[in-house]
Amino acid sequence: MRIAATAALFAGSVLFQAPFGRLHAQTAPKPLRIPIEQYKLDNGLRIVFSEDHSAPTYGISITYNVGSHNEHAGRTGFAHLFEHMMYEGSENVGKGEHMILVENNGGDMNGSTTEDRTNYFESFASNQLDLGLFLEADRMRSLAVNQANLDNQRNAVQEERRQSVDNQPYGVTSEVLQGLIYDNFANKHSVIGSMQDLNAATIQDVQEFFRIYYAPNNAVLTLVGDFQPADALAKIKKYFGAIPAQPAPPAPDLAEPKQTAERSKTIEDPFAQVPRLDIAFKAPPGNTNDVYALDVLSTVLGGGQSSPLYQSLVKEKELAVNVFCYIEEHKGPSTFNVVVLARPGKDLKEVEKVVIAELEKAKSEPIPDWELQKVHMMERHQTAQELQSTLYRAYIIGEMASIYGDPNLINTRFDKIQNVGKEDIERVAKTYLTQENRTVVTTLPKPKAETAQKGAN
Amino acid sequence: MRNNPVRWSLALISTFTISFAQIPVDPGSKAIPLSQVERKNKAPVSDEILRVKIPKPTEITLPNGLTVMVLEDHRLPLVTARLSILGAGALNDPADVPGLANITATMLKEGTRTRSSKQIAEQTEELGAMIGAQAPFASETATFTASGLSDNASQWIALASDILLNPSFPEDELNKLKQRTKIQLQQQRSTAGFLMQERFSRAVYGNHPAAVTSPTLAALDKITPAMLAEWHATRYVPENAILGVAGDITPAQVTQMFSALPAWKAGSSKVALPKATKPASGRQIFLVDRPGSVQTDVEIGNIAINRMDADYVPMVVMDRIVGGGASARLFMNLREVHGYTYGAYSALVARRYAGPWIAEGSMRTDATGGAMTEFMNEINRIRDKPVPEKELEETKRSIVASFALTLERPTELLDYAIALKVYNLPADYWDTYPAKIMAITAEQVQRVARKYIVPDDLQIVAVGDAAKLKPVLDKYGSVQVFDTNGQPKATP
Repeated sequence: MRIAATAALFAGSVLFQAPFGRLHAQTAPKPLRIPIEQYKLDNGLRIVFSEDHSAPTYGISITYNVGSHNEHAGRTGFAHLFEHMMYEGSENVGKGEHMILVENNGGDMNGSTTEDRTNYFESFASNQLDLGLFLEADRMRSLAVNQANLDNQRNAVQEERRQSVDNQPYGVTSEVLQGLIYDNFANKHSVIGSMQDLNAATIQDVQEFFRIYYAPNNAVLTLVGDFQPADALAKIKKYFGAIPAQPAPPAPDLAEPKQTAERSKTIEDPFAQVPRLDIAFKAPPGNTNDVYALDVLSTVLGGGQSSPLYQSLVKEKELAVNVFCYIEEHKGPSTFNVVVLARPGKDLKEVEKVVIAELEKAKSEPIPDWELQKVHMMERHQTAQELQSTLYRAYIIGEMASIYGDPNLINTRFDKIQNVGKEDIERVAKTYLTQENRTVVTTLPKPKAETAQKGAN
Repeated sequence: MRNNPVRWSLALISTFTISFAQIPVDPGSKAIPLSQVERKNKAPVSDEILRVKIPKPTEITLPNGLTVMVLEDHRLPLVTARLSILGAGALNDPADVPGLANITATMLKEGTRTRSSKQIAEQTEELGAMIGAQAPFASETATFTASGLSDNASQWIALASDILLNPSFPEDELNKLKQRTKIQLQQQRSTAGFLMQERFSRAVYGNHPAAVTSPTLAALDKITPAMLAEWHATRYVPENAILGVAGDITPAQVTQMFSALPAWKAGSSKVALPKATKPASGRQIFLVDRPGSVQTDVEIGNIAINRMDADYVPMVVMDRIVGGGASARLFMNLREVHGYTYGAYSALVARRYAGPWIAEGSMRTDATGGAMTEFMNEINRIRDKPVPEKELEETKRSIVASFALTLERPTELLDYAIALKVYNLPADYWDTYPAKIMAITAEQVQRVARKYIVPDDLQIVAVGDAAKLKPVLDKYGSVQVFDTNGQPKATP
């Protein structure tokens, strides 16, 4: 047995020094900064390193610059279905063996797909650096998928759609909103896609998609944690260096025509018991000054129970059970969203009026200082939490590098939030939170047909 | 704040992971070729396992009986304080007032002697902190959590201390909370998850208080501010509590910042162990008719062991083999080979009283029959056949090797230390845990599988389209049908 012969390579005590018992004066806040080093292989693979030797672990992500934005009509959901195919085997890794190798060696792993990118990520103890790199390189180089495996994962993805969308209360609401608010096909269809389009996907589609989008020049490899850069770089060259580059994939056209009139739709939900109101506004692409300002405004209006929307709708007027306000940020057009879970029996027009009134205030009344302070502290807390695991750092860095071309956004994003001024907030409220730019989806509980059946029971 | 809707490919697997299993092929049973899991064994793997010594927190016991544990981690300006109060959880609710512990916990931040609900929300959020308490059903423990930045920790800790020690339970806020809770009682019946939990808990726990999963309307109507104050005065007592603090803070700072806690008045007694549970006897099948369902949620299991049981370690290994992750038998069989589901797993619930071992998954309605067959095949396989040596070794290795990643998560490390207290485990428990895992044999795995997974006593619950599911489930025994309000139905 191998284990008995294995010496302890690292001890936890490296991390946790004995307490000194002295009191630190509360001095300047610790800066939230992590190191970023960038490299590029000859085949175009971008590499980002962020060293951190505080634990004997590392996180790795590979982010491909492809998502549902790249899909064409008749193949919605394909980018995500393809993500599943990446676990179905390559030259040196069998179908399902990826999960086995990661878990048997104490690692964590997953993959995810959004509109803008697809990523794959693992975390391991630092002695398994080769394994993480090899697994990602082998499937980038030599993905091999057969019909039975495609059919198998098509089933798994359709179950995923049923589980997270079709069998859930409000499951289709966001899909309906996305379809209504956008005009451009690239933006208006959901990441999970339709059952019909998933059924239509073929092996040829898989091969084409792999060739066009899964080339090293369309990917970013991020490594965070306990490794030596020179050693890691040599290993990356060994595993990834010979994978050929491909012509740059076509960039999707994400342009949206300007919205000129309010849009609205009411749907009935077979599971919902409480009406829900989604009010959304089109916004510019992410990582722009206006979206940072809208992000701050969303936290001012709806962040936490002290926010005006919560206090007014839930506590004072008791029109709602809960309310959320957030930005959905994309490389293409983003959205500013307010979601209200209304109290049954309340007039939804009244609920909508109260929301709009709170949004209108932002156009005329300057945001109080304490509310800006609140946003900064909540954002700083969230940012610090996002830096806790090497895996999540690798995830975010890869995402920022892939979507916006700037891995350093993990460090500078908070500054951009902090630099948003009151006049910026007033300006974006006036520009984007307008009636003609508004889209409203109302989700109502479907009336029960049960009364008729009850007699039979 | 930003919201990034993400589609996960595999459902997030928790820290714990498990090994591979060969799926026996049933020749000739399927016309369509199945998708087969394949091992090529060509990837470079380091045979060494990083042995991790779980760091031990600094521990102090205050004169009033409060245990305080501090785990320093100065990597980021974060501090998390979690107070676990045994005896203040929903398991201890009076039988006629289910929800009392929960409402008390939620009401803590709705007013103190010197602060209104709105002031508490404003002050907490202006500091960027999060403060809240919860008392989940089936748990003996109420958990009060405060977390925030070390920049201003003394301020939010003072605020949290006020919320914990001086709640005023204002009547108007209680009435508002009751109204919101009543709507939640209605809304929760829309999810298959709640309907499953309600029916499965009743099935396995029977008359034990752990069977309760929700407040009732009648209980909500009954609750008064005086009842909350009484619950708080008698149940929120320091001698039954453990405060765990992790992050960018020293023990001396903890003592200074939590200066209100030494004055927290001790109560009268330590909490006794909860009433024991026992496995349900005789197989029962429950079907919850959820109109409109396109999937069936299935749970299969029965009461197994408590956390102090000597069989805990072999059960952990057995559970990992059957369903502990994306490389375990259930996932490989039901998803990777058959494509019935997005994921199928098992879980072991072990507290100070015995909880269930459960196998579970969600699958499209017309795949329910096939999925049930495979669930039962896997249950029979772990009972009837010794685990192959390689699979056992890999499973044990996966458990031990996964400890390295916990070094990134200080609050989880603290949980390990707190578990020693709550379950009365020896001080060197975690130091010897890897060796205990590595010592488990195939024979032990089979023994606990046969002892705790008894096919004739399994409780089977399905939530979905009853008209289509009843014929599928009939072959497993007599099916009892319920509606979404939890009432028996004569026919689906």
